[in-house]
Amino acid sequence: MKNKIKVFRAMHDLTQEALAQELKVTRQTILAIEKGKYDPSLELAFKIARFFGVSVEEVFLYD
Amino acid sequence: MKQNTFYLLLGIVGLIEVGLFWLSVVLRNPLIITAGFIMGVGLLYVARMTVTDIREDERAVLISQKAGSRTLEVFWVLFFAVSLGSAVIGFGTPLGIPRPREFPRDFPRDEPHLGYFGIFQMIMLCCIAFLYIGFRVYYARKYGEWDSDEE
Repeated sequence: MKNKIKVFRAMHDLTQEALAQELKVTRQTILAIEKGKYDPSLELAFKIARFFGVSVEEVFLYD
Repeated sequence: MKQNTFYLLLGIVGLIEVGLFWLSVVLRNPLIITAGFIMGVGLLYVARMTVTDIREDERAVLISQKAGSRTLEVFWVLFFAVSLGSAVIGFGTPLGIPRPREFPRDFPRDEPHLGYFGIFQMIMLCCIAFLYIGFRVYYARKYGEWDSDEE
């Protein structure tokens, strides 16, 4: 599964650590998701999308 | 309780368990290590619930779950295979099981017994820790635990 977290993070001028703190996960988890090594749970996916104010489909792309 | 305090407690309990094990051997009383181990693990479970600064998210939980389940998947096959082998030897010789009121003072007897398989099983039980660590390292690496930051 691909995602645009890095793009949205850049648009909001956020570091991985800052985003991780907002979402109450570790920085390594954000890094793993961005690199496509870990697919987040539905709950975390919705949290990420809601945090950036977009829909889940805009952040995550199923390939 | 801080996480580092918990790790310190874990080490102390581990040392006490080792002491209890050898005390059991010297006194030839298996109940000491059996009861001590159950109490030690119970204490650690309770102590872990009081850790306040633990930072464990869904990825960390997934790594622990995968490593734990894969360890059991591999371990039970190996352990059961060795146990079957020991059962074959056991059924082929007099079992020499002492009567309850004699146990444990008459143990081990000079009659044929399963000593070597017991030792092998004990070694395998110790190896489960290394097996778990191995799987944990594998899954941690798979899910990007040590990946470098691109920022």
